[in-house]
Amino acid sequence: MASTDITNVLLSGVGGQGILTAGRLLALAALHRGLDVKMSEVHGMSQRGGNVDTHVRLGETVPSSLIPRGGAHFLVSFEKLEALRYLDYLRPDGVAFVNRLEISPLTVAIKQPSYVDDVDGLLEQKAPLLLWIDGTEMARTLGDLRMVNVILLGALSTRLPALAEADWEAAIAERFAKPKVREAVGAAFLKGVEACPAP
Amino acid sequence: MKELMLGNEAVARGAYEGACAFGSGYPGTPSTEILEYLAPYEEVVVQWAPNEKVGLEVAMGVSMAGARALVTMKHVGLNVAADPFFSACYMGVGGGLVVVSADDPAMHSSQNEQDNRWLAKAAKALMIEPADAEEARWMTRAAFALSEEFDSPVLLRLTTRICHQTGVVNLEDPEPRPEGKYKKDIPKFVLLPGHARLRRHEVEKRLLAATALGNDSDRWNPIFPGGGDVGVITSGVAYDYVRETLPAASILKLGLTHPLPLERIKKFAASVKKVIVVEELDPYLEEQVRAAGVAAEGASLRPYFGELNLPLVEEMLLGEAKEKVTISLADVEIPRRPPTMCPGCGHRPIFKVLRDKRIRVMGDIGCYTLGALKPLGAMESCLCMGGSIGMAEGLDRFGGEGVSGRVVGVIGDSTFFHSGLTGLIDLVVNGSSATILILDNGTTAMTGAQPHPGSGVDIRGGEAPRLDPAEACRGVGVKRLVVVDPYDMDNFEQVLEEELAAPEVSVIIARAPCVLNESVVFAPAVELDLEKCNDCGLCIRVGCMAIRVVGGRPEILADLCNGCGVCADVCPEEALAIPEPAET
Repeated sequence: MASTDITNVLLSGVGGQGILTAGRLLALAALHRGLDVKMSEVHGMSQRGGNVDTHVRLGETVPSSLIPRGGAHFLVSFEKLEALRYLDYLRPDGVAFVNRLEISPLTVAIKQPSYVDDVDGLLEQKAPLLLWIDGTEMARTLGDLRMVNVILLGALSTRLPALAEADWEAAIAERFAKPKVREAVGAAFLKGVEACPAP
Repeated sequence: MKELMLGNEAVARGAYEGACAFGSGYPGTPSTEILEYLAPYEEVVVQWAPNEKVGLEVAMGVSMAGARALVTMKHVGLNVAADPFFSACYMGVGGGLVVVSADDPAMHSSQNEQDNRWLAKAAKALMIEPADAEEARWMTRAAFALSEEFDSPVLLRLTTRICHQTGVVNLEDPEPRPEGKYKKDIPKFVLLPGHARLRRHEVEKRLLAATALGNDSDRWNPIFPGGGDVGVITSGVAYDYVRETLPAASILKLGLTHPLPLERIKKFAASVKKVIVVEELDPYLEEQVRAAGVAAEGASLRPYFGELNLPLVEEMLLGEAKEKVTISLADVEIPRRPPTMCPGCGHRPIFKVLRDKRIRVMGDIGCYTLGALKPLGAMESCLCMGGSIGMAEGLDRFGGEGVSGRVVGVIGDSTFFHSGLTGLIDLVVNGSSATILILDNGTTAMTGAQPHPGSGVDIRGGEAPRLDPAEACRGVGVKRLVVVDPYDMDNFEQVLEEELAAPEVSVIIARAPCVLNESVVFAPAVELDLEKCNDCGLCIRVGCMAIRVVGGRPEILADLCNGCGVCADVCPEEALAIPEPAET
């Protein structure tokens, strides 16, 4: 099984944004489809406000868990700067889903700029294909900021033909036991789908 | 049944399936989740130990009682537990004993990247290395019986990318518990020199027998025959990259990596034209393979340290990586996003004061180690668990003018219970006048809020005795002890000066719950009046994620701020203020 038969999804953002849960849902959906899946994640020190990345790889057989730089089919970023940092993981035909959110890294001096100038322009110029997602705003409207991760997954699902609607439903049902939460998560997922009409 | 599991979760599942009766350990990335995932199995007694050494000692008692035991730790934790570990290998076991060493290549969350495979060889323990989550499950399950068969502790050596890799795991029913019972055996379990010399023979016999198993076992050390001239010898996570790089090559995958099956290795080498050893960190396999007379390459083809990944292994085996990086970020300066203390953290005001007063801080291991980073920059050493206390004594004695009398050892509460007490005894009995600051937030925060002896809860959330670090200090002879509120910086500064001036050991305990603790109630976000602000930057120098700079002026991020008020306290213009509580 060559690596070309594996779909690579890299999720990036800032510790505490729900990235692990997003990766887990994606992996569960793949398992429901009957695919092999491996995921690599970060725990520990970097979670204290540092940048985090979760690698998810799905396919018939997936031997290793880390996506090579230049090998990601999809980059799903929860924060703009963390989209830029991981952008070179994308293949030349890769797609970046970027949540419209800026979280400044710790600023250590008043004379130091907190953020990159024109990050939007840089991302648009460098990404092969970039899809902006107003995930944070949509989650705020839904009344739960934690839903950003599910909204982004909904967006990703529109470009991931390997997984069907039933796989996502099964993943959400397995991860969220309470019917009320499951319903809210399902609704947020749909918002993400709607935000990303198929090309 | 198939299930998705984190590697650490699969280790816990394997322990449960392997009829493990007892689990202990001390939190440390990347090992922490193993015990947390073992705790829900009600059949197993699971508990955090104050440190790895004690955890292993309890487990040895469990093993002597005839029951199976698991002890978990990160790689440097095995240094702490090395004393019982090395001698346990002479004693052997009763019930199966599995010691987990979770190594951290590339130092994602560690102070070094030591390769603990050497420790298995030095201690003469059996060692196994899984390559993914499913192997983590079955190898852990099988490890208990292996331990009993060879009368040896088994070192289960994991690495970050195994611990924190999620994959598909095949669940099996648990084995029945073996009917072990305590058996008095003084020559085996009392390592007097005369007994130990006899046990030494048993150790060598065991290693010969385990070598024979390794030479014969397709299960532990499978050979995947393939085409091409190159044969690869590999183990652990490196196997995953080799498999993906050369799906059709001849591979000898070693699962039992101490003792090494040298006959099997020679047989494999004879079947291929060229042998390449692919392993992470030190050339542990390679040196032994070459010493056995097998011509092999390995470390010369890869970086000598850090993690492996697919492109690196492709370069080793194919000469170049398959995927090319096509997007260049060379022209952009992307600011780093290092970890930082949480907004509202009680450590921050402490380090703000220590920095401003130019105190020499001998630090320790925990979230507060981040006090060494800018803009606080108020920690000047961090050696090992508990190291702050002894180092403070040494520097205070020999630092000379401007240093002696201005030294503070800073240690967290979990670290203090782990290995601070013996250091403190040294200070007391040797007449030191150093000052020790215990940052008491009630939890083991950096690894994800595990309880410790001062937390008052156990791993399952049940009530447990709560030890007070202040009582512990008094108990070992500390006479000067003050408890302060870390957010009251003026008071802390005054107490600090008094205690630094005192001619004997003093302990200051700064007590405030960790802000990750759900019961911590936050004030509303601080409000900034930009008309009063003169852009002096003092609030920025407190180092809080909830304040950033926009157009050269500070801005409060209300979503992140939880109103601890430290920035408001340092503002000379009173531009920052906690809003008055709204009428309810």
